[in-house]
Amino acid sequence: MSVYTLIPLLPLMAFLTLTSGGRWWGGASHKVAIPAIGLSFGLSIGAFVEVLSHGPIAIPLYRLIQSGNLIVDLGLYVDQLTALLLLLVTMVSSVVHVYASRYMIGDPRYNRFFAITSLFTFAMLMLVMSRNLLMLYVFWEVMGLCSYLLIAHWAERPAACSAATKAFLVNAVADVGFGFGVILTFVTFGTLDIPQILDQASSASDQTVNLLGWAGGDLHLRSVTLITLCFFTGAMGKSAQIPFHVWLPFAMEAPTPVSALIHAATMVNAGPFLLVRLSPLIVLSPVAMTIIAVIGATTAVFAGVVSLTQSDVKKILAYSTISHIGFMIMTCGVGAFVVAIFHLLAHGFLKGFLFLSTGNALQVVHAHGHTASDSGRDGQAPRLLVAGALTLACLPPFVIFSGPYESLWTVQQFASAKAAFWVIGLITVFCTGMYLFRGMLSLFQQELAVGVPGGEGPVLTRPRLFSSSHFIGVIVGAIVMSCVLVVLWRWFAQFLAPALTRPVASLAESSPMTWPFLRGSGQALWFVVPLVVALSGWGFAYWLHVNPQRSPWRRSERGKTLYVLFLNKVYVDEIYDVYVVQPTLRLAGWLWKTVDLGGIDRVIMSIGGTSVALARWLWHVVDVKGIDRVVVGSGGQTMSVAMWLWRMIDIRGIEKNVERLGDQVDATGHPLHRVEPRTLQHHLLVIVFWLITAIGLFYWFVA
Amino acid sequence: MSSIVADHVLSWMIAVPFLGIAVLVFVRDREWIRRTALAATLLDFGLSLMLWAGFDVGNQGMQFVERMPWMPTFNIQYAVGVDGISLPLVVLTTLLCPLCVLCSWRSINTRVKAFMMLILLVEGAMIVVFTALDVFLFFMLWEVTMIPMYFLIILWGGPNRIAAGIKFILYSLTGSLLLLVAILGLYLEGGRTFDVLALAGHTYSSQAQFWIFLAFFLAFAIKMPMLPFHTWLPDAHSEAPTAGSVVLAGVLLKMGGYGFLRFCLPVFPEASAQFAPFILWLSVAAILYGGYMALAQSDLKKLVAYSSISHMGFVTLGIFVFNHQGIQGAVLQMFNHGVTTGALFLAVGQLYDRTHSRSVHDYGGLHATMPRFVVLLCLFSVASFGLPGTCNFIGEFLVLVGTSSESFVKVLLAMGGIVLAAAYMLWMLQRVAFGRSRTAFAARLPDLNWRETATMIPLVVMVFWIGLYPGPFLDVMDASVSHLVEHVTGTLGLEVSQRSPGP
Repeated sequence: MSVYTLIPLLPLMAFLTLTSGGRWWGGASHKVAIPAIGLSFGLSIGAFVEVLSHGPIAIPLYRLIQSGNLIVDLGLYVDQLTALLLLLVTMVSSVVHVYASRYMIGDPRYNRFFAITSLFTFAMLMLVMSRNLLMLYVFWEVMGLCSYLLIAHWAERPAACSAATKAFLVNAVADVGFGFGVILTFVTFGTLDIPQILDQASSASDQTVNLLGWAGGDLHLRSVTLITLCFFTGAMGKSAQIPFHVWLPFAMEAPTPVSALIHAATMVNAGPFLLVRLSPLIVLSPVAMTIIAVIGATTAVFAGVVSLTQSDVKKILAYSTISHIGFMIMTCGVGAFVVAIFHLLAHGFLKGFLFLSTGNALQVVHAHGHTASDSGRDGQAPRLLVAGALTLACLPPFVIFSGPYESLWTVQQFASAKAAFWVIGLITVFCTGMYLFRGMLSLFQQELAVGVPGGEGPVLTRPRLFSSSHFIGVIVGAIVMSCVLVVLWRWFAQFLAPALTRPVASLAESSPMTWPFLRGSGQALWFVVPLVVALSGWGFAYWLHVNPQRSPWRRSERGKTLYVLFLNKVYVDEIYDVYVVQPTLRLAGWLWKTVDLGGIDRVIMSIGGTSVALARWLWHVVDVKGIDRVVVGSGGQTMSVAMWLWRMIDIRGIEKNVERLGDQVDATGHPLHRVEPRTLQHHLLVIVFWLITAIGLFYWFVA
Repeated sequence: MSSIVADHVLSWMIAVPFLGIAVLVFVRDREWIRRTALAATLLDFGLSLMLWAGFDVGNQGMQFVERMPWMPTFNIQYAVGVDGISLPLVVLTTLLCPLCVLCSWRSINTRVKAFMMLILLVEGAMIVVFTALDVFLFFMLWEVTMIPMYFLIILWGGPNRIAAGIKFILYSLTGSLLLLVAILGLYLEGGRTFDVLALAGHTYSSQAQFWIFLAFFLAFAIKMPMLPFHTWLPDAHSEAPTAGSVVLAGVLLKMGGYGFLRFCLPVFPEASAQFAPFILWLSVAAILYGGYMALAQSDLKKLVAYSSISHMGFVTLGIFVFNHQGIQGAVLQMFNHGVTTGALFLAVGQLYDRTHSRSVHDYGGLHATMPRFVVLLCLFSVASFGLPGTCNFIGEFLVLVGTSSESFVKVLLAMGGIVLAAAYMLWMLQRVAFGRSRTAFAARLPDLNWRETATMIPLVVMVFWIGLYPGPFLDVMDASVSHLVEHVTGTLGLEVSQRSPGP
């Protein structure tokens, strides 16, 4: 057991301590969670350094399953990719925990909150460290459960509960893909060990799967393509890609620190991580890669446009995450895995930061997240906090742009890259510029409204923070940042390469790290163009803010229609509700009423009823009318003989005794009748009837 | 003394519940009746642990065998023994019965003695069913389990108990009848013996195989229950008292699956293979259909009951793919289903004890008033739909891996069933545990007391144990399952479905 086992183990121990301690921890819960995750951050740095100097670390754990030829060994595996993600996850998570220890003060479920966030962190850490696909799948799902519980943290709010259910179910549907991928991988490779699979990937590239074999048809697909698409389906769910993107905006019902965790450290990053982890497998299937790229690109543009129309800061941020992740997926699809990870890290750190500062700002202005609402009723807001949060919040877009910009750069090098992805990338960059600027501006606008005495609604004035001097300062800062990042990037690409090299050897030759920085004019162009596009996005947003009446949304009817369309997120939620959820529920109800109750039950009960009726008829005809009459008749005869005898002999003493006996029989007989209203009799008759049938059948078949 | 116990553990396990009944006859005080019953069931559980400890995992045959002639004229004997397939089910039985006694501690106040006697009777009978090596013994005790269940339903059940009881009896009797026909057929065809092992070694004409298999199949399918024979289950479950539902769902249903594994597969491999495609589709249909049914329910117990049908679909799916993973997964899934569904029925019972309502719409917001209960309910709900890390996941995964060698479409459809399961369980949680209280009483319910919590804890342990470290359970089954698979595939002349790793 290596000391690095403690990286995921510490958050798990925090979780166990907090759950077993129950409410005893109360308001001190963060004192358990923060040191645990902080320590695992420290260990992650250690792991990073060790990977840097000694290469990947493998830690075997125990054997989970051994059944026939299916053997599942659990183990941790820290390579370059994992080391980077460990840093991201533990760092963002510890910051979020520190932040939450203040943010959640006074919450009735303070203890529960920290317990589950610890578990959440643990699940993500295990996910990135998994050596085995099944293990990865386990923590993939555990993470889904944690997000479910955290989104439903304020369980009194029906919206939070349905958001949680929605998140889990959308993920569950997508995870069918993942689970099927795991099984298909086992069938194809005979193992679930990730390094082994990746080693064998190229040799299995010509295997096929017949999809219509069960129906006698013939539809052969390459196993690799199918496996990749299955895993990608899972990734689409976790990373909120079209058409599984609907859960993420609703997940904003969770407390802000949870959003920060979901968007920055855990949940959504799992998708790109999976694609990069399996990159040697994915590159074998151009078809799957094209599909991945198309879906990523569509998501990126779609979410970008939608977030332009939203008025809730948290919704803007949610769609911005979807858009960014879409971008990463697209970069994976065109083969630029290194860029995707770079983007992932940059985005993770910054989005976490953005969420926390938004949370601060929202708390300060006591708004409900609606940027257009008049707020600041609370009087003087702590200006320093707002200003600090917002100034810092201005930086990230630039750093984030450097991600897309770098990726475009690589895309251009990769053979399968198409101009279309290029344009889409630029559109996304433009949209990102616009909506982030808009979001920040609107937040800041609220702060302005505080200053207006009497507060007559939102006052649209020139925002002070974005004066020309600030603007220049921000641009200079961004350029400096970009240069730093470019230097960092070269080192980064070299560092990450070993985790991806095996099958991407051809890719490595053309990858940017072998190119001297900015030597040719072509590279300079690709450096400048995205920056210009992003800046024009900012400029456009600023111009729109100052001249709202010139907005293209407002100028024409079509513009308005489009605006409404995107404001309602293209009605995807409604479409799902009408065409998926409701029909399923209706089908369930219909099946139950018609097939179960009306069909099978009625048939069975009518068989039962018929046999009871038959039995009753038999009883009536044979027993009562036949045998009984004979018996009663003979009994009557006997009685009359007895009567005659009695009259003749007249023994009074005996008569009295008989009377007493009769009374007793009456007394016990009546309650019995009340308890068993003839059912027992009928049951027995049914049993007898069936036995007769049985014996008949038996003689027919056997004897 | 210890050797008397150690040499005859199985017979002692069978005897203890009946001895318990005998002791109960002389106990008058209600509290002592409960204690005696609990002691008897716990003692039995202890004995089953002894059995587990003494079990040799490398041995593929029957262990702890005890034989004694009973009716020599018909070659009927008292013969019991366990192998890796029956051992988990025996342990499951003895694990659930003390919990049944515990959960009825306060909720059963009328005719306590009769109630506890019936529980003990059903426990003893079930242990014999799972260990019998003689078909006649098996059949006799199979019948015996039905009677206590019937009385548990009609005497302590809910408002519609009489109708539910009739339905239960109608279905069960039909099943028993078919079983009787099948067993007599087997006796006549298989060389006039009732010995299970001897019968499995005998070869049968294909026509005899066909008919006897059909009769066995229908009998077990009704007990399971498989798709078109399932309508007794929701009614019986929803009307039975909590302990009855737990026994019914936890153990009685497994008698069907056990029957498939003990009789259908080893004795009639050819007929099994002949029927398998049909049964596999029926299982997939049951998985989906049960899921849809559960989605339409607002009665908590019916919801759990329909989810059982869906889970049992996984069991039959795993059994009839005839490979190692499938069958091992099916046995494990039977155990898991007993744990999770048993726990869910316990949880619903705890609510029912408080409010006497089973409707989803009468609750809501329990997370505030009953936090401990909600944690457990959430845990067992997610375990029930097979969240990775819990026991059902391992079972379902094994079954799906087994099925993948048969057909990918069935795998996909079965996974669709898991999504449905997630949907109805979360839907139920959202309405019962979260949100705001819908009724005045739901806002004032007391949380679980220590006795109720103690009832759930063993099941929590099992959920995580199997979910995270299923090794010991899989090891126990391994030898017997591979023996069975070899027997079946060997008879069929199929290749043992072991894939060579790699391309």
